[in-house]
Amino acid sequence: MQAGVLKPVLAVYTALFIAFLYGPFIVLGILSFQSGPEGGPQFPIIEWSTYWYRHLFGLVPPSRVAPLPIGDSLIRSLALAFMTMVVSTVLGVASAQAFRQKFRGSGPVFYLIVLGMMVPGVLVGLGTALLANLVGVDRSWWGTAFVLHVVYTYPFAFLVMLAIFNRFDRSIEEASWSLGVSPVTTFRKVTFPVIFPGVLSAMLFAFTLSYDEFARTLFTSGPRLTLPLAIYGTFAVEIHPNVFAFGVLTTLFSFALLAVYAILMMRSVRQSRQVSAEAA
Amino acid sequence: MSRTIEASEEPAMRQVPEAGSISSAAAQRRKARRMSWLLLSPGVLWMTLFLVLPMLMVLYVSFWTQTTFTVEPKLTTASWVRFLTSPTYLDALWTTVRIWLLVLASTLVVGYPVALFIGLLVRNKTLQTVLLVLCVIPFWTSFLIRVLAWRPMLGTQGAINMILMKLGIISHPLEMLLFSELSVLIGMTQIYCVFMVGPITFMLSRIDPNVIEAARDLGAGFWRIFRTIILPLSMPGVVVGAIFVSVMVLGEFATAAALSGRKTNMLGNIIVSQVGSLKWAFAAVAGVILTLLMGVVIAGLLKVVNLRKEL
Repeated sequence: MQAGVLKPVLAVYTALFIAFLYGPFIVLGILSFQSGPEGGPQFPIIEWSTYWYRHLFGLVPPSRVAPLPIGDSLIRSLALAFMTMVVSTVLGVASAQAFRQKFRGSGPVFYLIVLGMMVPGVLVGLGTALLANLVGVDRSWWGTAFVLHVVYTYPFAFLVMLAIFNRFDRSIEEASWSLGVSPVTTFRKVTFPVIFPGVLSAMLFAFTLSYDEFARTLFTSGPRLTLPLAIYGTFAVEIHPNVFAFGVLTTLFSFALLAVYAILMMRSVRQSRQVSAEAA
Repeated sequence: MSRTIEASEEPAMRQVPEAGSISSAAAQRRKARRMSWLLLSPGVLWMTLFLVLPMLMVLYVSFWTQTTFTVEPKLTTASWVRFLTSPTYLDALWTTVRIWLLVLASTLVVGYPVALFIGLLVRNKTLQTVLLVLCVIPFWTSFLIRVLAWRPMLGTQGAINMILMKLGIISHPLEMLLFSELSVLIGMTQIYCVFMVGPITFMLSRIDPNVIEAARDLGAGFWRIFRTIILPLSMPGVVVGAIFVSVMVLGEFATAAALSGRKTNMLGNIIVSQVGSLKWAFAAVAGVILTLLMGVVIAGLLKVVNLRKEL
């Protein structure tokens, strides 16, 4: 029977696909342990060493390879991602809450919000730079770049929250209202704990998207670069294994973030179950 | 599931069940509508100021007069004429369309069998989730690093050439692998394939196994089942995936810049290089053309499927 052959064939194919997804990254990880400063960004590995990692933190004597300008830009990127996360999550929760009622004009508003994640970054970045020039606002990472990051991440937060509210059991809110609890207290004590897993996901989306964003930042961040822009700058010149070492470290950072998210998620899911159970 | 439907079909406001009179119910509804708009207004204002206005600004500036280092708000179509008559820029437009179509095709061809396996053939929910998570994890690493990771893979001294030479398949390293359009296509396929696999897997996993079972009992072969059941039911997933991939590929410039050695120029690359040399009006023209292109593509795809219903 054909389906009997099909399954193992597709299983092998899927394994190859996953190798295709991870292959470049594994190669990059291996090459980040190239010896330095004479070792280049290619095989063979002359000698295994952590030279490029030390190079990244400025722990090696100066050589012809300039250090990556990551110190300040890392702090800027983290601050920007944090600001973006807070604002876009608040906007996303508020908008999704509004969408629980049917109202006229919901269609256009929905598409207006979703447009933020569809428009190419380079385009809206260009427009914002032009607009800033017109009204005489200096471009900066905490101003023009920040508002664009929110334009990008707010739709993600909104869609996540919309999905959460779609699955939301309205009767526990109604129970709270009918007991005379005010809508604000109800939201704080009943609704919020139940939707909190969604809020966490929205926050994670917003933070990681903003932390990694560069197309929107390119024209709008002004003279002070964010981390992805500093990396983008190295594209133009010859690359060295220090970029690879940086790639490994930033990936580990993302995974740490993901682990924190997973822990918080498990705790809040348990908590929201409790609230639901108590309400019932 | 039934609870969800029940909740969403309920009338908007039922807070005060004992307030039976119609006028009070209407007042409640008005209040709720006001509340909705109050909650929405910050978001709508934000998007209007920082998304719609900049886009209009791009359109406006595309008609400004470009001097050597600045643009002046004196309306002219000079930049448009220059774009539409220059072979370099028309070539960039064609490159954008070509790369978009090729990446769309390759992500579909590469991704569909994977989605078929994960969504339909793996019936164990845990294994399904593990496989999907495996596909999504690379998305969590830096985009630029993922692009850059292809350089040591594809270079003349890269991993692929090295392996092929060791295996004796080739005697000289393949030069076409890096800094060519091929490397851009390979890189983009790897980066964007996940966005095709996800939606298709989602649609396939919703197919009732009994339907396929029934078709098989009635004597349908695999190809017949695939053509008449699996493919039509997975189409919304294909279209949603195509929208994701199109949106991201059309506005691309970084992958092309990093992997083609500046040989492949898409509209995004034109915008970046024009802004770099302070040709704002010209960058704006390229921006408007890119917007129009995306608008046509997305409108076409949305005609096929209602995005809001699929979410």
